[in-house]
Amino acid sequence: MAEADPCHDSLAAKRPLSPHVSVYKPMLTMMMSFAHRITGAGLYLGVIMFALFFAGLALGPDAFALVAWITNSLIGRVIVFLLSWALLHHLLGGVRHALWDRGLYMDPEGRELAARATLGGGLALTLLLWIGSTLAG
Amino acid sequence: MSRSAFKSGRTGRGAAFASDHSGSCHAHTMRLTAYALLPLGVLSIWFIVGAVGKSFDGVRADIGRPLPATVLIAFISVAVYHMRIGVESIIDDYVHDEGLKAISLAVNKWLSLAIGAVWALSLIIVAASR
Ligand code: HEM
Repeated sequence: MAEADPCHDSLAAKRPLSPHVSVYKPMLTMMMSFAHRITGAGLYLGVIMFALFFAGLALGPDAFALVAWITNSLIGRVIVFLLSWALLHHLLGGVRHALWDRGLYMDPEGRELAARATLGGGLALTLLLWIGSTLAG
Repeated sequence: MSRSAFKSGRTGRGAAFASDHSGSCHAHTMRLTAYALLPLGVLSIWFIVGAVGKSFDGVRADIGRPLPATVLIAFISVAVYHMRIGVESIIDDYVHDEGLKAISLAVNKWLSLAIGAVWALSLIIVAASR
């Protein structure tokens, strides 16, 4: 029964492919999906950086001198700022997933709102974090 | 070839179109680790940003206190698992060469564990010698 076999090459080759991302009009919910993955991968790099930072802190002043740029140089601060945004954005993306798991904010308006809240909330929380941290000294 | 070259963990006829049925467990684990990471992540990033601009002694005094050290260690313990299986699905999605895929998965596994070990051990040393 070669013809009825769903895995037979002659049939499989005739089936259409599922549309790939590149055929869709870019939209916010899709960008937020990409952003969740990109921030997740970015956080992986950030966590490597801070594992090295803490190692320097543990090993003593000489070792710390090698990693001090992370928290003391301008480029380091920019990276830590981006990292904090990535974490808060990714975290709110996680909250969005938790809402979806409960069937909330899944309709077209709801998911658009959730996407905007993730984007705006991530930026707002990042600013709050840095302002609060500066004030706390 | 017009079809995807994706292959599941199964072998034999139809293998290329079969699921390995590990998806639900993956999603569930991602959710559970995310719940734990939510409070731990907020506190951890607060402590990390707090280290900006501080000296060696300043950071040691701050980070070495019981609460920051404990929170940061709890955070990395959960994050190691979350990020390992998170990156596993990224590898599954983009790396299709069997050999490269096996290497990527192994590097991800041991790198994430090494990150967790270095992070946790360092903080224990800092906290203990404070
Ligand atoms: C801080 C709290 C965090 C929360 C609430 C959170 C939440 C989540 C959730 C719910 C997912 C699953 C998304 C999906 O099913 O598509 C996910 C994926 C992921 N997370 Fe997190 N996460 C957090 C922190 C982190 C950290 C610290 C890292 C890395 C060090 C990380 C790396 C990843 C990666 C690599 C993925 C996979 C992305 C993908 O498959 O597209 N996450 N996160």
